[in-house]
Amino acid sequence: MPDPAQPGSNAPAADPVGEFLGTVITRTRPGTAVLEVQGEVDTLTAPRFSAAVDELMSDREGRLVVDLTGVTFLASSGLAVLIQAAHRAEERGARLRLVVGTRAVRRPLEVTGTDQLFDMYTDARDATGGDD
Amino acid sequence: MSDLDGLSPAETLDGASTVEVRTSASAALIPTIRAVASDLAARADFDLDAISDLRMAVDEACATLVDVAAPSSMLLCTFMVRSERIEVHAEVQARHPDAAVSTDTFGWRVLQTLADDVAVHHEPGVGGAGPTVGIRLDKRSGDLPR
Repeated sequence: MPDPAQPGSNAPAADPVGEFLGTVITRTRPGTAVLEVQGEVDTLTAPRFSAAVDELMSDREGRLVVDLTGVTFLASSGLAVLIQAAHRAEERGARLRLVVGTRAVRRPLEVTGTDQLFDMYTDARDATGGDD
Repeated sequence: MSDLDGLSPAETLDGASTVEVRTSASAALIPTIRAVASDLAARADFDLDAISDLRMAVDEACATLVDVAAPSSMLLCTFMVRSERIEVHAEVQARHPDAAVSTDTFGWRVLQTLADDVAVHHEPGVGGAGPTVGIRLDKRSGDLPR
């Protein structure tokens, strides 16, 4: 599925009632940056998700991990953010690592074939450990 | 069958039970609509992947329509729960007479992947009513060969 539209371009102004997305970037190991995401990624929260992924991608660490274990919904607007990040990682010869714990995230990635763009993990420790 | 008296013959014939959800055409209310979608699918014994697909497809359809909806208008989402499948019809009043759902987007391709059948329809405004745009989608309860 190439050329995702720019996500969130038509998103309405932030609505404190409907919007909940937690994003934290940590660097617990040298050479590794992890973006941990909690909540629902949809048309409301995609801009925030996009900003957090941008911040992760601007990190010069060699190993970039997006931990989606706490994500309970992933819309196409969120998939589009991930796909763009995968292409940006590819441009610098890296592959983005995704940690996927819920069906709500795994199913959209699989059914669209998007999972091929990432190194997929079910456990955050495996994703941040690694030996490459 | 007395509680089905209000339904048209076509609806009672194939045993669809119908749920309508009407909200302001606002992205902030789409989480409520997709929660209804997954609840109905779970109660209709959809398999877990199909529940996830329907929830995401309904979200996608509603988000697409909210984008073209007239200010302060309503989003009407009708679920027809039949044996083995759920049919969803979502509709908004369009902001412009020539408002259209673009089907060349990434989101539309995802929607086509998730649903077993999906179609868009536009109705020009008649009389005092404004133009409407709708999306109809169909989802089967489990994976069948495509």
